Amino acid sequence: MLTSIKTNQFEGNKSKELAMMYFRVALILFGAQLLFGLIAAFQFIFPGFLFEVLDFSVARTVHINALVVWMLYAMIGSVYFLMPDETGVETVNIGLGKLAFWVLTAAVTVVVLVFLLIQVGSGTESSIWLINEGREYLEAPRWADIGIVVVVLIFYWNVFATFMKAKVKTGIMTVMVANLMALAGLYLAGMFFTDNISMDQYWWWWVIHLWVEATWEVFVGALAAYALIKLIGAKREIVEMWLWIEVLMLFGSGILGLGHHYFWIGTPEYWWEIGALFSALEPVPLVAMFVHVLYDWGKEQGAAHAKGEVGSVMKNGPAMAWIVLNAFGNFLGAGIWGFFHTLPQVNIYTHGTQFTAAHGHLAFFGAYATILVGMMYIGIQYAYGIKVMKATFKSKMGVFLIAFGVMGMTIALTIAGYEQVLIERAELGGGWNAFFTAQEMPWYIQAQLWRAIMGVVTFVGFIYLVWDMLTIGKAQASQLENAAVVA
Amino acid sequence: MLFESFTDVVPSFFGWLNQGPMTLTIFLHTLIILPMFWIYHSEKKKLNK
Amino acid sequence: MANKNVSVWSSIPFWRRSAAWVTGFASILLVWLTFDSVGQITMGTDADIQKGVTKRVPAPTVINYKIGYKMSAKRGHEVPTIGEKELFFGKEWSPKEAAALLHLGKLTSQSKNCMDCHTLLGNGAYYAPDLTKAWIDPAWQNGGPLQGMTGKNTEEEAMAEFLQHPSQYSTHARMMPNLGITADEAKGLVAFLKHMSSIDTNGFPRNFSKTVETFKAGGSHAH
Repeated sequence: MLTSIKTNQFEGNKSKELAMMYFRVALILFGAQLLFGLIAAFQFIFPGFLFEVLDFSVARTVHINALVVWMLYAMIGSVYFLMPDETGVETVNIGLGKLAFWVLTAAVTVVVLVFLLIQVGSGTESSIWLINEGREYLEAPRWADIGIVVVVLIFYWNVFATFMKAKVKTGIMTVMVANLMALAGLYLAGMFFTDNISMDQYWWWWVIHLWVEATWEVFVGALAAYALIKLIGAKREIVEMWLWIEVLMLFGSGILGLGHHYFWIGTPEYWWEIGALFSALEPVPLVAMFVHVLYDWGKEQGAAHAKGEVGSVMKNGPAMAWIVLNAFGNFLGAGIWGFFHTLPQVNIYTHGTQFTAAHGHLAFFGAYATILVGMMYIGIQYAYGIKVMKATFKSKMGVFLIAFGVMGMTIALTIAGYEQVLIERAELGGGWNAFFTAQEMPWYIQAQLWRAIMGVVTFVGFIYLVWDMLTIGKAQASQLENAAVVA
Repeated sequence: MLFESFTDVVPSFFGWLNQGPMTLTIFLHTLIILPMFWIYHSEKKKLNK
Repeated sequence: MANKNVSVWSSIPFWRRSAAWVTGFASILLVWLTFDSVGQITMGTDADIQKGVTKRVPAPTVINYKIGYKMSAKRGHEVPTIGEKELFFGKEWSPKEAAALLHLGKLTSQSKNCMDCHTLLGNGAYYAPDLTKAWIDPAWQNGGPLQGMTGKNTEEEAMAEFLQHPSQYSTHARMMPNLGITADEAKGLVAFLKHMSSIDTNGFPRNFSKTVETFKAGGSHAH
């Protein structure tokens, strides 16, 4: 993948080349996310590890910010990749897109260095502007917020202008353009300071929830639709009809499902039932998406067999594996693990425990990491001009170890959360001593140990994934050449 | 008890609708779903033409 | 009538229009609800506290009063109570001073990145205790082990002392690192914590007062 630009078979498509630039940085940040996650996991077991050098708060800040940023990179990359196919025209301003890429990458580097080397500031406005905003997921200082807004505006203008030039406005592209506007606009809700912690949290959730439980999910729906057409030749009319149904159900449940974050932050009690029922419906579209992917796959495969064709209809084995994993992981991680604790009667005990961490790990992985990795494989296939890309041993190890590792971490954290709920919350009623009593229980400690082990498994899987991405394209492209020579 | 007493701290329109188990959320769901019947019938008319 | 085979369920325009309607209307409802909620969580005034007007988020001058957490039979969960006046760091704070102190505390809570170890209102990281009701935690109050550890006589001074030298007072193998918190910043943070404990969180964390009762009855096995 790293060499794929140089040896490129891009046939002059600059938008796809730009997409690959975004994918590469995304992969590096994915690695950073896992590395700092491991540090934080070890700190649960050995509290003295890097104490007052690189504290848990620093490791976790980098862990979750690398996560959000690599996903945004891969999302921007995916849009630049699919745009030429969906619009039939060349992306309008690649030069500006490249400039935005370098500005964003420079800004991200500076922010990470400041997080690692300066870490915290004094209690002044300038700390919020220059060092750390101190709001989970939105820790990036204000100057970087503004930079991100500018970069996203450039990106959005590129998408919008290209879409307007297209002769045929596809459903996928229409959803993409409308959804991206909401996605970008929502970021503004997280860019102000208030002394009122309830107000702070109210708007913070506008960004976090309306991203990951509404606009990002719709983004994934559009991406999956594109991938199904690309990978197994699914019919556009069917895929796009499903896409509109998904938009309806995702936004219908997800927008007011925001209420499940307003149970305990000072907001009125009426949010209990709004949050409960709307968010309880959030898994429905995720089931639908899963059924849709499997149905289309089975249908296209069956049609091919009926025509007497042998073998799989899949044009890209590893990408398809990741996208099927996405369909299932989205339903399991975001749907099931989310529903576990979405009702206020349950949430009053689980809120702010490792339950949330368990859900967060499986949901971010299942719903987003999977499909974005799938898009990277589609990118590699295109970059090397491979007609049918087959999964290698390394691709299989990558997908298996990462999925197994994340699932293992999720189960371990769920057990830790369950223990915390019963001991710290139900039995002892919260508080400083209640917290540490629960943290000392053998089952909690064992769960944290298993989480760290499964984190290592995930990391080994990631190494296979990167290794595969660096080699699969070249190997299969040269196989094709050899086959051509023999023939 | 099907209808519970009003427990919100500050009375408001939404608090007022929140009069018992699920009253508010079912009301909002209904408001969202109902117009889809109209959309359905208008599409049906179009398709029949 | 003309064509019985026509199905609206497989028509893209039907789903597109429905998606647009549902998204648009849900967004409008959310904006409407937001106006209502923002009104309700806007900070009250000093006059509200004096007149006994209940606000979900009271004025900063709430730091001049005793804060409690009592079971409300009507609401079915615990509710914060604002009791009689008490000194905070040895004085009564005017509305202006209290607001400035809370401002400093909230800024410090963000610039020191508290939320990437602790949870505030239940949101944040899960490495360290939830701070929503930290102020009313008996461990920090008179006779509590955490206050005793610092050798201070009032809760606010004990918390401020701990915040300035956290790694001197270990309560667990997992310690709080020294974040260079100054004396003023520590005061601000304690004011921020006290103010947060007075926010009506609809009974979260549930049974927090149970800790108080078990503690007063001679402590639980949590010590």
